[in-house]
Amino acid sequence: MPMKLLDCDAGIPEREKHVYIKEAGEDTTKFLPVSNSATIPGSLSERGCAFCGAKLVIGGVLKDTIQMIHGPFGCSYDTWHTKRYPSDNDNFQLKYAWSTNVKEKNVVFGAEKLLKKSILEAFDAMPTIKRMFVYTTCSTALIGDDPKAVAKAVMAERPDVDIFVVECPGFAGVSQSKGHHVLNMGWIHEKVGQVEPVITSEYTINFIGDYNIQGDTDVLQRYWHKLGIQVLAHFTGNATYDELRGMHRAQLNVVNCARSAGYIANELQKQYGIPRLDIDSWGFSYMASGLRKVGDFFGIQDKVEALIAEEEAKWGPQMKWYKERLQGKKMAIWTGGPRLWHWTRAVEDDLGVQVVAMASKFGHQEDFEKVIARGREGTVYIDDGNELEFFEVIDMVKPDVIFTGPRVGELVKKLHIPYVNGHAYHNGPYMGFEGFVNLARDMYNAVNSPLWALAGQNIQGEVL
Amino acid sequence: MATKADELVAFIQERCLWQFASRAHDRDENINGVLSLLGVILTGDSPQLETPMQRLHFANANLLAKEVKVAFPWLAEIPKEDMQGVLSGAIARIHELTVEKSLNGELNQPGY
Repeated sequence: MPMKLLDCDAGIPEREKHVYIKEAGEDTTKFLPVSNSATIPGSLSERGCAFCGAKLVIGGVLKDTIQMIHGPFGCSYDTWHTKRYPSDNDNFQLKYAWSTNVKEKNVVFGAEKLLKKSILEAFDAMPTIKRMFVYTTCSTALIGDDPKAVAKAVMAERPDVDIFVVECPGFAGVSQSKGHHVLNMGWIHEKVGQVEPVITSEYTINFIGDYNIQGDTDVLQRYWHKLGIQVLAHFTGNATYDELRGMHRAQLNVVNCARSAGYIANELQKQYGIPRLDIDSWGFSYMASGLRKVGDFFGIQDKVEALIAEEEAKWGPQMKWYKERLQGKKMAIWTGGPRLWHWTRAVEDDLGVQVVAMASKFGHQEDFEKVIARGREGTVYIDDGNELEFFEVIDMVKPDVIFTGPRVGELVKKLHIPYVNGHAYHNGPYMGFEGFVNLARDMYNAVNSPLWALAGQNIQGEVL
Repeated sequence: MATKADELVAFIQERCLWQFASRAHDRDENINGVLSLLGVILTGDSPQLETPMQRLHFANANLLAKEVKVAFPWLAEIPKEDMQGVLSGAIARIHELTVEKSLNGELNQPGY
């Protein structure tokens, strides 16, 4: 079966190019969903905006940096606190939302003076913080403000501060993906190479594309520490602004999220000759494979094998327990993009779980090449899925559990289908060996919770 | 021989991320770099590991070598010249799937 026009899409037949069901003997040279293209009018997309991709996913994770949103306050509030990425400095980045709070008069008369005033106020209010990201939004981009000129003027007045401007208003691209791209490319061109890191190990890496969701970075950092590897920069989990300015000195870029951060890894390889090693850091067997590759690169295979043996001894029995109980369950993954291909084989290899439907909000065709190569036959693959498609696909594949974000999660909960937060996790971290045990536990608890069935009972009129 | 190459290709497609780099020139470099080193490792020769990119390809190839030896016991039994034939076939097919006939519209964009 080639591309699939779902019944609910009869009025928007263009959607056929975005939905694929894999059959035996097919490969990605025959069928590949259209992706990273504009949402079709009439399709109730679940995507976020380009600004959100820059701020919520990457920039907002930094633990020592003011995130000044140049726009109405909603742009700031709506990209604050919805992802739980902690830090080891008391979660500075999660406590505050900063905004220039642009109003109608600023749209009429310009908002550059307001931006400068807001930047100075923020630095004055937080005198220990000397780093800032400034983001344009739809309104301030449309009126033609020049935030880079403002940032330059502030840095001239205050030589101890440094500001990075992300010019990526919400309308700049078709999804969050554009924001990832703009931030990556801006950072490599404007900031990398400005700080010389202190090298303390003969083995140095940048770990790219992990955002410390519920402590993912902490898990991985323990591995690198045990291996004697110095991480010059985590892009961007639990990272500082200046660590990211010293990325040019690493010997290797280890990449997890290739979609949100592959750009900077490619540029670091091109401009500085630092090789890019892609790994999957979710999953028991994948994590071991990733560590083995790093071990082979540095010639520290013995240390790596000792670490893997220790972790497998500690967490393997729990994984086995969950695998015995989750074997054969059917799972849907409706997330951003890369988790589709990171997870589909991992849950099958490690837990015996079959992934029967996958939807990506902002993945590109590269992501669909990966996931279709890894995914099962009969599985439904969707780009930029809409709400009605989700209803129809649920009826088709009848998943036992759905990993998705809170927006689609609310829909799923109303259908009384077990749901686990696939973006910010239920009870993470999910990366590494212990992380995948956490994922298995959340899946097991979701699948076996009696609440889903109870929620579907109509007790109106019953005497309690 | 073609069947053996196909088995190897199916395994690589499912397991390896390096073949799916963002741009065609990077896919070319990775496919040739990793799979030529895979041949060196499987035939017991010593790989050259002088540059960072050679060490990168070795990291990807060495893990793959261990995995395919387990998945395909016939690899231990075929003569060296036949092994090269299988690998050449696999390189050509992976290249066809991920570069030549790929439907990915971003593969040949200039820049990243």
